[in-house]
Amino acid sequence: MGEYKRVWARLRKDRRAVISLWILAAELLCVLVLPVLMGLEPNVTDRAAGFWAPPSPAHWLGTDDVGRDVLARLLYGGRTSLLVGFASAFISVGLGILLGLLAGYRRGPWEFWIMRLADVFQSFPNIVLVLCMVSLVGPSVGNIILVTGGLGWPSVARMIYGNALTVRDKEFVLAARALGARHRTILWRNILPNAVSPAWASMAQRVGRAILSESSLSFLGVGISTPQASWGNLMRSASQLSVLTGRPWIWLPPGLLIVLTVVCLQLVGEGLRDAMDPRGRRYFSS
Amino acid sequence: MRRSALAAALALTFTLLAGCGGGGQSAGSADPAEPVVVRYGISNAWDQLMPYNSVSGSNYARIVYDKIYDRLAYVHADGTLSPRAAESWESADGGYAVLFHLDPEAAFHDGAPVTAEHWVETIRLMTDPACPMLGRATFSVLTGTDENGAALPGEEPGAEAVDAHTLKLTFKDPTAPEDFLLDKNRELYVLPTHLLEGVDPAEVLDLDLWDAPIGSGPCVFVEQLPGSRLTLAANEDYQLGAPGFDQLTITVMDKANLLPAMISGDLDYYAFGGSVSAEDRAAAEQNGLEVEEGTVPNTFFELMLNGERIPDARIRRAIELALDKELLCQQATGGQGSVTYSSISPASPYAGWAAEGEGRDLEEATALLEEAGYDGRTYVLACTSNRSGLAALIQQNLAEAGISLSIQTVDSATMFSGMADGVYDMGIASHTPGALPLWFVESRFAENNNIFHVQDLEPYAALIDAIQSASSQEEKGPLVGELEALLAQERPFIPLWFGRGLHVQSPTVENIDYASSSFSNENVWEWVKH
Amino acid sequence: MSRYIRRRLVTAIPVFFGITLLVFLLMDLAPGSAAALAGEGAAGAQDQALVEQRLGLDQPFPVRYLSWLADLFRGDLGESVYFGAPVSRLIAQRLGPTLLLVGTGVLLAVVVAVPLGVLAAWRPRSRWDSLSNLFTVAGSAVPGFFLSLAAIYLFAVKLQWLPASGMYDGGGQGSLPDLLRHLALPAAVVGLTNVGGILKQVRTACLEVMGEDYIMTARAKGLGEGAVVIRHCLRTALIPVLTAVLTHIPHLLGGSVVVERIFGWPGMGSLLFSAINGRDHTVVMGVTVVMALAVLATGILLDLVYGLVDARVGYGRV
Repeated sequence: MGEYKRVWARLRKDRRAVISLWILAAELLCVLVLPVLMGLEPNVTDRAAGFWAPPSPAHWLGTDDVGRDVLARLLYGGRTSLLVGFASAFISVGLGILLGLLAGYRRGPWEFWIMRLADVFQSFPNIVLVLCMVSLVGPSVGNIILVTGGLGWPSVARMIYGNALTVRDKEFVLAARALGARHRTILWRNILPNAVSPAWASMAQRVGRAILSESSLSFLGVGISTPQASWGNLMRSASQLSVLTGRPWIWLPPGLLIVLTVVCLQLVGEGLRDAMDPRGRRYFSS
Repeated sequence: MRRSALAAALALTFTLLAGCGGGGQSAGSADPAEPVVVRYGISNAWDQLMPYNSVSGSNYARIVYDKIYDRLAYVHADGTLSPRAAESWESADGGYAVLFHLDPEAAFHDGAPVTAEHWVETIRLMTDPACPMLGRATFSVLTGTDENGAALPGEEPGAEAVDAHTLKLTFKDPTAPEDFLLDKNRELYVLPTHLLEGVDPAEVLDLDLWDAPIGSGPCVFVEQLPGSRLTLAANEDYQLGAPGFDQLTITVMDKANLLPAMISGDLDYYAFGGSVSAEDRAAAEQNGLEVEEGTVPNTFFELMLNGERIPDARIRRAIELALDKELLCQQATGGQGSVTYSSISPASPYAGWAAEGEGRDLEEATALLEEAGYDGRTYVLACTSNRSGLAALIQQNLAEAGISLSIQTVDSATMFSGMADGVYDMGIASHTPGALPLWFVESRFAENNNIFHVQDLEPYAALIDAIQSASSQEEKGPLVGELEALLAQERPFIPLWFGRGLHVQSPTVENIDYASSSFSNENVWEWVKH
Repeated sequence: MSRYIRRRLVTAIPVFFGITLLVFLLMDLAPGSAAALAGEGAAGAQDQALVEQRLGLDQPFPVRYLSWLADLFRGDLGESVYFGAPVSRLIAQRLGPTLLLVGTGVLLAVVVAVPLGVLAAWRPRSRWDSLSNLFTVAGSAVPGFFLSLAAIYLFAVKLQWLPASGMYDGGGQGSLPDLLRHLALPAAVVGLTNVGGILKQVRTACLEVMGEDYIMTARAKGLGEGAVVIRHCLRTALIPVLTAVLTHIPHLLGGSVVVERIFGWPGMGSLLFSAINGRDHTVVMGVTVVMALAVLATGILLDLVYGLVDARVGYGRV
């Protein structure tokens, strides 16, 4: 665990990463706490305010096409988008670590077939497979998480695999093997911590990518379906000319939040990467 | 090597920028020698150009066939008719037949005159069971055909050429010519059967003819990029007059881009009828476009119900009572609609017989639910993603009456097939209304298309039959009233509202009949672009 | 060398089968055929059976897969139920516009990214570096559809400089300036969404080069800064840029789905999207399989070229 402390200490010196972390934490706090504090309802029509009301003290960001409070939808949408982002990144990285380690450590047919499977999946433009699969299983939050998460593993697996190859021939692994340690023990104790740390850096970027994918899917009409809000389907309303030109308060906040979140995640990812491997970039090809 | 590549890249960029900059000025100036092109936008693609074999059967395909092929008549938005391939029509054989007097001037794009024989041959071929056509259900009203429109063995379909320019159609039930045309005109096209002589009916679909079709409509096929672009030329010899342009190019683009493209001057017109939402109206007007309010209803919204999953008519009525139709209508049409309790259009001559309702009544709804013993189950409502706001309102409305609803956003094909298969309990659908009293009900209460999963179709079928065989409007009226009462009692589907369209006026093309576009025909031969 | 080529090709075989099997499986599981689309329940059960029979859906799975594969080898991708035309012809018609759009987009991205990346590496934390950061953010953190809508609003609706959609002003042909005007907005969006990735590669590669001894030597020898940057930095950066562009291809093709759809660009992406919506399974299969095989082929080619360029590589990577 000493290693993680060192990484943390180095990360704290990276000003941009620290600021990004603070912003992300503040965002998370906002979407979790603010709706409760302000008593916001994302799915209730305010008949007094009417449809498409402009910002007012009662509705800070106005109301949408069915008279729902846009601020409430922005915050609840944040929950959805962040959930989709983190959960699908978690699945991608989890699957990627598992398969990458298997391929890199067990080698032989494991290596061959896992890497071939990764080749197969990486041959498709990601959005194309996601589109096909989501239209197959239907657009619910769970399905979108499973599909975007399930299709994101190959690049993580490839990275872990490369690292595992390097680590498995290191002296301490050879020594452990010579001492008769079992495969599982070696994988768990020696290879995992050394091969996996870079995965955390890529995890941050995967979260951002999943949030962007969700918004593209929403635009194409196969994203998170209503009444559940997400930043993607809030931005989708910008495809209506009158909203794009006359009601910036509806699409601008989710747009800015998406950009802010993705940028912060990228900076945290870069910070983590540098903190874990201060000398060079040998682990990272992308 | 590298430097030259870089130089080439830079050169291309500059050309590009120069092209952009220069184009801005040159876009408006029209060269007199240049053909006058009407640029027409559409949000979904047509499918094949063989009009009787449209897989989608959608209005997007129909509006394209409407240009290339000729129809008997032109249907106006208010339900009146004017001549097209037929100059006039009259009833015959005691109401069981209609005589169409064809326009002798009409000719195919290859020059061959259109005769009654062409129509008869078209119908004979399309009803031939050996010919694998999808769109033959249209012909099921003719004698000598089964309920799918296929010719019965040993019988000829009820179409006959009385003389070179008189077509006689014979029906199973007495049918007024106007009723027939309002119902079937948009599905009935004349094919160039003189080019199909000696072709095995089974192989008609494989002909190269459909890649470069020849019709007798107001436009001539030039070329197409399937799913994206279609170029047509004006048919200078069209019997109703030559269109006032040289070319018509139809381009498929995202719905979100139609209005912006019109504003930027990329389009002269877009289907259907330059329709625009109430919210976007202001955006269009701010950018110098005029918007016209339609006067005749061109959409009918309904809430489809699954009678098997919601078997108690009291619950179905309670659902209707729980809906705040005024609010829903306001949300969807922005004030361009009127709430309804019937599928009969307010513009129809039968509007007086349409069922009426009293509006929202939550108390009554809860009472009915209690009486029927609603068990608090959650119903599944399917809708397309552009109706999701509406679905959210319906969900809130029903929740206030204690009915819980979950929403599934799907594409429209999935919704309709899901309703037919009984996967969903409710669905939000919209249709283009007809003027006839049975335009909606007739096809939905049939054994082979029981989309509302009505357990006992018998009472409906009996009334529908009675209405169809009644010969006059006076006779039909009371029967329509009876059917309406039954529908109001049973509520197999919930009528929501009739909406009127808002039409963005083309700044460049004159004489467009915007409103009639929703009824799958456009008066392109009268369009003039300067 | 030949052993290396052989091994590379052998590994491609299971991938080929994997790709085709995945595509076939996906479409086989997809609910509802195009017949179900015949909206509003208009098509009866008879029509449905007719369409299914035409598609050969009454055969068992392995038979259908193998016959599809056999057709694929012959270049026959089946017939689109929706358009009634051979899928291979539909794809052939759409390939050119997509290549044009993606190619121009990449070119724009490279033209912006390479000089900017070099400058950013040359003067880290300068204004150039901030500008390159801005591009990276705009390209990789803003959803593509939003860039497209904003571009249409700004350049087509407000300024009315450029057309918002289509490929030519009228119909299927037009002059080159006309084409370029239509190409400008979608290509700029494709370019912008890809600048970030390429820029990062160039900057990293150049930063590494800048620290090398021979650069120090060159500088010490009194070689001008411009010459150092151009001769050494740019040269070294070219390989990573090429790699970045080529490995970006799947991403590029995918990104074109949204951009083509919005701009009404008649390419593979818009074909794919309308086919998914229209349940035109043969077209979806055709387009995805062609895209994936193109990516596979590019990958092989790339590896072979690397192998030739640097025979020392051997076959280390799997």
